[in-house]
Amino acid sequence: MRFLAIAILAAVMLASLFAPRLAPYAYDAQFRETPNAPASRIFPMGTDDIGRDRFSRLLYGTRVSILLAPAAACVSIVLALLISVPAASRVPGVGLAVSGLTTICLSLPWLFLFIILRAKLPLNTDPSTSVLLTFGLMGVAGWAWPARVFAAAIREIRQSGWLLQAQAAGIPPWRIALLYGLPHLRSIAAAQFRVLVPAYILSEASLGLLGLGVSDPMPSWGNLLQDLQHPDIVRANPWILAPLALLVIVMICLELLQSPPEASL
Amino acid sequence: MKLRSFCLLAVMTALAAPPVPRELRFVIPGDPRSFDPLHIEESESETVKYLTAGVLVRVNRATDKLEPELAESWTLTDAGRTLTFHLRPGLRFSDGTSFTAADVARSLTRALDPKEASPAGDTIRSAEGIPEIRVVSPQVITLRYKVPKPGLDRLFDGIGIGPSTPPAAGKLPASAGPFFVAEYKRGEFVRLRRNPNYWKHDSAGHPLPYLDSIRLDIQQNRDIEMTRFLRGELHLINRVSPDSFARLKEQRPTAARNLGASLDSEFLWFNQAPVRTLPDWKRAWFTSAAFRHAISRAIHRQDIVRIVFGGNAHIAAGPISTANTFWFNKALPPLPTDAAASLKLLVSDGFTLTGGVLKDRAGHPVEFSLITNSGNRPRERMAQLVQSDLAKLGIKVNFVPLEFGSLIERIGKTGDYEAALLGFNNVEPDPLEEKNVWLSSGAQHPWWPSQKSPATPWEARIDELELRQATEGSREARRKAMDEFQKIVVDQEPVIYLVNPDYLCAIAPSVKGSNPVPSPPPVLWNIEWLRLE
Amino acid sequence: MTLRPLADAGRRVFRSLLNLVLVVLLGGFAAAALVRYSPGFDVDENSWNPRISADTLAALHARHEQANQLLPFYLHYLRAAAQGDFGQSDSYRVPVSELLHDRAPVSAKLIGWGVAGGLSFGLALAWLSVWPRRAVLSIATASVSGLLLAIPSAVLALAFFFAEAPLSIAVALTILPRVFGTLRALLEELYSSSALLAARARGIPPWVLGIRYVLRPAAPQLMAVAGVAFVLAFGSIIPIEALCDVPGIGQLAWKAALSRDLPLLSGLALIITFVVAFVQMTGDLLAGERN
Repeated sequence: MRFLAIAILAAVMLASLFAPRLAPYAYDAQFRETPNAPASRIFPMGTDDIGRDRFSRLLYGTRVSILLAPAAACVSIVLALLISVPAASRVPGVGLAVSGLTTICLSLPWLFLFIILRAKLPLNTDPSTSVLLTFGLMGVAGWAWPARVFAAAIREIRQSGWLLQAQAAGIPPWRIALLYGLPHLRSIAAAQFRVLVPAYILSEASLGLLGLGVSDPMPSWGNLLQDLQHPDIVRANPWILAPLALLVIVMICLELLQSPPEASL
Repeated sequence: MKLRSFCLLAVMTALAAPPVPRELRFVIPGDPRSFDPLHIEESESETVKYLTAGVLVRVNRATDKLEPELAESWTLTDAGRTLTFHLRPGLRFSDGTSFTAADVARSLTRALDPKEASPAGDTIRSAEGIPEIRVVSPQVITLRYKVPKPGLDRLFDGIGIGPSTPPAAGKLPASAGPFFVAEYKRGEFVRLRRNPNYWKHDSAGHPLPYLDSIRLDIQQNRDIEMTRFLRGELHLINRVSPDSFARLKEQRPTAARNLGASLDSEFLWFNQAPVRTLPDWKRAWFTSAAFRHAISRAIHRQDIVRIVFGGNAHIAAGPISTANTFWFNKALPPLPTDAAASLKLLVSDGFTLTGGVLKDRAGHPVEFSLITNSGNRPRERMAQLVQSDLAKLGIKVNFVPLEFGSLIERIGKTGDYEAALLGFNNVEPDPLEEKNVWLSSGAQHPWWPSQKSPATPWEARIDELELRQATEGSREARRKAMDEFQKIVVDQEPVIYLVNPDYLCAIAPSVKGSNPVPSPPPVLWNIEWLRLE
Repeated sequence: MTLRPLADAGRRVFRSLLNLVLVVLLGGFAAAALVRYSPGFDVDENSWNPRISADTLAALHARHEQANQLLPFYLHYLRAAAQGDFGQSDSYRVPVSELLHDRAPVSAKLIGWGVAGGLSFGLALAWLSVWPRRAVLSIATASVSGLLLAIPSAVLALAFFFAEAPLSIAVALTILPRVFGTLRALLEELYSSSALLAARARGIPPWVLGIRYVLRPAAPQLMAVAGVAFVLAFGSIIPIEALCDVPGIGQLAWKAALSRDLPLLSGLALIITFVVAFVQMTGDLLAGERN
């Protein structure tokens, strides 16, 4: 099962990396005589509303999303760990301060931070810079979600019997953290990773509304999925669902990869 | 399985509200902000105002003639300086109180008071002081201006007259138009009921309006609106998007109406203001008429009409829509597309195309950003087509859709942008109010707002013509000024016009008596004559 | 002697409450600052309307109570808010409290059912994937969760809307995959604990096992998950209500954000921060209680 999941993920990665070779057309080529064309031998998934080949756009769009969303998710998780570990300390007030900070970050209207970022960036910013910054900011802004769960888990560890035993046995704290704490947090981190990746892929599209992220004509899964909000378009050409199907497959593979190993018994 | 279908049935019956006899239903996109006819700032309030507020005179949207409404007659004397209205006898508001010249006087006084800041009042205010208002008798009222004001009587089409005593707190205002606001549930709907005291009757003596009530559902999502219309929950859609129109034509061909080109236009322009964020060499391109002509000629407007609007648009010829029959300068041909001529123009202006990249005299590659409001699909697609058309000339366009607040901040305040693609929704065929856009000193002057003095001779000439059309008494003389103005705008192209979208609407076959026209409000303008069967 | 723990608990509750107030005040201020310093804040949407003259625009503009001085605005706002007055909305021209009062029930229903549904579906799915130990089931549950993760919540809601099904299920399905992973990890770990294995070997019925060895020890983490679910639901109603035209708090927040309605957004920020902080505090206190 795991092998299959790895194979599929690798295939998707390779297909996106070799998009320029595999794609029949450039992602921005407009075939203006055939907008909204149905799937055919010439256009395997039909064309979009200004006549661009959907298949080529999907191949190119995969690159951005499949590389940057996981990277941003990693940033969030590492930040969350760094911030929530001090919460475990017994220094009075630190726990409260960390939980307060988490709360504030969870309830902030982050949208405005992105609006401000767009205003500070020059309009002629290179698309790749804009994309990197967007995912970077998403990664930084997203730490509070996993941090909440980490904090609860760390508290649990602190109260657990084996920790007391280990402490009694005189094992130094860093060794305890490394040998016992981290493996415990790993499965939780994996679960959070799985949630954050699609969240970032989809948020990237919403940020397109602010003029951030992947800008036209460059495709991404996010902006390809935007069409789903218009039922008319989906009805007219079901191939619009292809990016969604691909995202679902990737998510299921990630899920299978991370299902806890039997060894934990 | 049975249980599920039962649940579905229960949900569906709950959704179908109890039928109200002869109630017209349609959707407005947001909450009306005000029911005070003098404080209308957005389209939702404008719609409610048109249906409820009593006006002294009304422009017939089909014939473009001014017709008597609450005033049975009016006279313009003293070389267009004095306007006298004679009210109909026995008029009453929807709550039964009588409607007299005192109510008119109070509404006009409020409208004209600069402190009241009434947008409706802006149209009848005069730079030369507040006109004198005199109640001659309960039926007669006069306004005296110090200088003549062009098209004065027609302006009163937009001035809603309310009762002289404002409604008690928490109460909805009475009105003298065909309907009054009977119920308002914020975020959900506004219900209007027929005004039993409305003066108008049909030829058989039957009191108007025919409809008992109107329900305006507050709903923003246009896809949902179309679905509800197709399900038969709505009677009309005031404006159908080009995307939905195809679906409508396929599923309800009899309900789909294309009213021809609208008064609206879609256009793009370059920032010519000397702002810090715009480098001098870029500003040099944007201030060159040859550069602007070249861009304009490279754009395939025919493709925009066909692909973006599904054929439901007309190629623009200039600042005034071709649909605006009186004011449009018929000598102007549609804007041409000619990529070869475009390149020639650029070369003659010192640009060179090498290795697929267009460069100016100093060797700067030609690249600029183009902003528009995000979420507007037609505009986003127009920008994509423009981007690809210009790429063929070696020009790199960075398309950045921005949400409205950020966009307005850049265009209206900081000037930090290079090119913008937007549109104007024109409510009024008369170009009088567009003075604010075209005067070089205007705050809404797109390419360089609030200039101290016009930067070029042609801009100075536009200023002259605009001032003339805003003060000249006769419609013919004003039209002559506007003809020359349109010629200048097309010759200089400070604004590059693209298309005039068609007015698309949906009217269910059960709605009788409608006579839609491409002038707002296209379907509702003869509301008192609409019937439901 | 017996009073000691009580006094301790009291002190802890007091400290948490103090923390709550501080967090709400800071969170509200941070939100107000973000709104205040984002572009488009001080620009009137009418400034692009050619029918309105410059003088009228200036007068309309002056009428909106703008917060050019952020700190004085916020302090003034807090003082009024303490008396239940959340100011007048700039875009709706009505008191904020009236808007909230009208719309809160709609959203509360969506969130309530959404959280309940999301948690119970999530637990059921996690149990299915852990307990019977069948590969088919674990693949199936992974697929369900993967599918739900990949569909944008607004699109899911729109599909429900067009199918005339309750939107709260869409909220529940949005929450489900986001808590599923954590719940499964939790159950997995507890089911493999030595105490449980021993009890299982003794033949104790599964439901007793579930309660004694799973639900009880996992209570603090379950509380944390429930808190996350609640906050998730709060976040998900914004796109759902905005896209499906539900007149609730989420739609209000979206419209307020687009029109930079500072009084309304400040009020919403205070409320949202309070809810999030309250959920967190209860979770923390309960966890501390068990300690």
